[in-house]
Amino acid sequence: MILEMKNIEKHFDDLEILKGISMGVDSGEVVSIIGPSGSGKSTLLRCATFLETIDGGEILYMGKEAAHTDANGKVVYVHHKELREFRSYYGLVFQQFNLFPHYNVLQNLTDAPIEVQHRSKDEAEETAMELLRKMGIEDKAKAYPYQLSGGQQQRVAIARALAMKPEILFFDEPTSALDPELTGEVLKVIRQLADEKMTMVVVTHEMAFAKAVSNRVIFMAGGVIVEQGDPAQVFDDPKEERTKQFLRVFER
Amino acid sequence: MTLSTMLSTMAAGMLRTCGIFALTLIGSLPLGMVVALLRKSRSPIVRGIIRVYISVIRGTPLMLQLLVWYFGPFYLFEWSIRGWRFPALILGFIVNYAAYFAEIYRGGIESMPVGQYEAAEVLGYTKTQTFMRIILPQVIKRIMPSITNEVITLVKDTSLAFTLAYQEVFSLAKQISASQTSFMPFVIAGVFYFIANYAVQFAMERIEKALNYYR
Ligand SMILES: Nc1ncnc2c1ncn2[C@@H]1O[C@H](COP(=O)(O)OP(=O)(O)OP(=O)(O)O)[C@@H](O)[C@H]1O
Ligand SMILES: [Mg+2]
Repeated sequence: MILEMKNIEKHFDDLEILKGISMGVDSGEVVSIIGPSGSGKSTLLRCATFLETIDGGEILYMGKEAAHTDANGKVVYVHHKELREFRSYYGLVFQQFNLFPHYNVLQNLTDAPIEVQHRSKDEAEETAMELLRKMGIEDKAKAYPYQLSGGQQQRVAIARALAMKPEILFFDEPTSALDPELTGEVLKVIRQLADEKMTMVVVTHEMAFAKAVSNRVIFMAGGVIVEQGDPAQVFDDPKEERTKQFLRVFER
Repeated sequence: MTLSTMLSTMAAGMLRTCGIFALTLIGSLPLGMVVALLRKSRSPIVRGIIRVYISVIRGTPLMLQLLVWYFGPFYLFEWSIRGWRFPALILGFIVNYAAYFAEIYRGGIESMPVGQYEAAEVLGYTKTQTFMRIILPQVIKRIMPSITNEVITLVKDTSLAFTLAYQEVFSLAKQISASQTSFMPFVIAGVFYFIANYAVQFAMERIEKALNYYR
């Protein structure tokens, strides 16, 4: 297992957002998370990437514990230095890209490998150029983010995450901030990564994409996993009424 | 007094004015950053002290602050203030301008979108790396126009050194004007300030342009 989350609980003030979510992701698996707005999908990814601290449960990467709940019900994270090592296991692609505007594309891809992972400049640049070729934007290496279209920016963001050589990549609605005609080019590279057996968890509203690319679909609503399974089963033959209701909205 | 002796007498004052200007910037630009960061300190006592400091500095005239720096040690501790004029002057200016710069830095830091911090955090940058490599360079670009305003104000504020009878260009202009019953020294001083400001604006514009390689 690359990632294991057990009984994850999260609340903001008095509002319970995640009510005991458990999910595991195996190497090479592509998991799609779908569900209505406000169901806690982003919060789940933010807990997995330590952008939010959980209020209950356990998080393990590569079988190693990053956070657990002790006998008193208190959540304990490993020391922040160790936590930073866990960060090398995963990458996160944001809805809003969050590229570094003062760095050109190449610098966006090489700064963290050099500064955080202490890799040599030459190696980092070689890896970066290879990734840019894969993303079909090698001619943009010296461009600044503001000079790129949304679709190109998101592909740079994916490459930036991959440049860290993570074990697993999280996507939070990677195409939601894009014009419809630009979503295709981003979905295409994610599909390509899936073909290469990159382990991924994708929160998305692109149902056709989720159905075509993922090995497993998780339907979340109201802070719990309502249903999960093979995409063909969840999409074509959902068992839960809540799932049927959600999917009906999308069929129209 | 001929115009050329007047000019050469005042040239020394111009140099002193430039000295106040340069030392104030060298001291207050970094000190302002320290103050801005301390304002975000985890300790409520530190935060409180910083808040009082900033509001006192902004709520009282610089001229008064200079007098306090100069005469304070004498009235408080009966220390001799011989040789204390110039240090008091520079301290007064630095401590004053650091407060204004701190507020500008704070505004710039707070204007940064949270996504920049989160992207850096996920990539494994430490807090220091995030600030130095990702946040600060963008903050500098954002606050450049406000910094320019302050620096231009400083050129003119240097004339407040006359309060402590420090012989910079404005004090000299007053003295020479009184002794020679001539208006000329003020004209010279005015032209000097105008040219100095022009140079500052030119330099700042160049810096702003250099930072325009990204948006
Ligand atoms: N920092 C926060 N403070 C308070 N409430 C929050 C915070 N972040 C999220 N929430 C709340 O948690 C709930 C779940 O939010 P979340 O963003 O995880 O939903 P989502 O499933 O990603 O929705 P969407 O499809 O719209 O992105 C929402 O009701 C939201 O208002
Ligand atoms: Mg969301």
